[in-house]
Amino acid sequence: MFSKKMVLIVGVIVLITVNIIVLSATTKSYPDFGFGHLALSFVAPFQEFVTRCIRFARGIWEDYFFLVSVSQENQHLKKSLNHVIQKNNQWQETELANLRLRSLLNFQKAITNRVLAAEVIGKDPSAWFKTIIIDKGKADGLKRWLPAVVAQGIAGQIIGTSNHYSKVMLIIDRNSAVDALVQRSRARGIIKGTLADQCRFEYVLQKHDVRIGDIVVASGFDGVYPKGLRIGWVSDVIKRDAEIFQEITVTPYVDFEKLEEVLIVLNPQQHEFASQQ
Amino acid sequence: MIYCFYMGACLILVILQTTIFPYLPLLDRCYDLLIPFIIYLGFFRSIREGLFLVLFLGFIMDNLSGSPFGLYLTSYCWLFIGIKWATTFVQVGNRLLQSLVVASGVLLQNLIFIGALTFVGPNLKLPTEAGSTVVIQILWAFATGPVFLVFFRYIQRRLDDLMKEIVSGRTNFSLSSRR
Repeated sequence: MFSKKMVLIVGVIVLITVNIIVLSATTKSYPDFGFGHLALSFVAPFQEFVTRCIRFARGIWEDYFFLVSVSQENQHLKKSLNHVIQKNNQWQETELANLRLRSLLNFQKAITNRVLAAEVIGKDPSAWFKTIIIDKGKADGLKRWLPAVVAQGIAGQIIGTSNHYSKVMLIIDRNSAVDALVQRSRARGIIKGTLADQCRFEYVLQKHDVRIGDIVVASGFDGVYPKGLRIGWVSDVIKRDAEIFQEITVTPYVDFEKLEEVLIVLNPQQHEFASQQ
Repeated sequence: MIYCFYMGACLILVILQTTIFPYLPLLDRCYDLLIPFIIYLGFFRSIREGLFLVLFLGFIMDNLSGSPFGLYLTSYCWLFIGIKWATTFVQVGNRLLQSLVVASGVLLQNLIFIGALTFVGPNLKLPTEAGSTVVIQILWAFATGPVFLVFFRYIQRRLDDLMKEIVSGRTNFSLSSRR
């Protein structure tokens, strides 16, 4: 009834349609198939071995062969240290004042989060996605959606775990979203990744005051990232009359190219709204 | 033995592109090194042998990457199907053609990824660096793709020779022991 060519064309069309449906279903969420951790467990030990070898070799190079520049750097660091000591004294005074004011206003003391340090052992094989693989997993108490941070700010969140390894989606990934606030004006929006070194700060209303240089912090409303953690600084603001929201670019504090260790927050302090849901 | 070679080669390529290349300045936007391998399988291996590896590699890469599950599987499967179809009319031995085929494979994968990112992903806007990333990857693929193909084929031949020697050695041994 049908020619062979016709059947082939219909077959290809059906295959493409099924393919698109499956991809659109998996794109909107990160389904945990259970057996996904097998691949991670298979490849990650080799990645860990190679990464450690590279770091060892680099360590030898930096520790023994770069001593010429170390002397100059030492002088420079001594100067910086004196400056920092002065600053530190000022901050200690401010901290004491802050503590006094907090107790006066009966503010709840900030809970110190329990964190676990993990080493980055691999990066995403694709240039279109921004994830890293770390050397801690379920056996260390990690699970999906726990936040990963570094001293500079938020790095990302865990999207997959095996027994001893985990996959972390960075905030610069296009699928990442962080509920955030401008520290100065408390303008709220969503930080989304762009794959580049910058993020977009979306859904910030035109009426809100946002300026270049403003610090953007996590709001805690998403129930993933602890409130107040730094994300980045506003590097560009565009206001168009015809639009409801501003176009804001945020440069993250974290240098994702040089990310070697992260801290996983094991008990993220969730906002009341998120924990009620 | 041949599957050990395949696994070893794939593992080395995956580790190269996840632990070493991202830290090197010129190679941080290199193409997926498994593409030449898939093309090699399409050109020189049977459907049954190739398809198993294509599915296995797709599964591994989907789990290592932050991509939606099935994206690498999709790109590898369509690439393998395309190469198998192309072998019906393409002269496999031509180096320039090999470069073109690898570059086309990289382009196909990038188109699938960009399509998934923009049409079925959460954000309709194209990534800002999409154009430059694709161009850099294609240039890398054009320059280095045939090297991988030649290398895979060379190792394959050596392994085949080795296997033949082992098999003939066993046959001679069994014949002499019977006498």
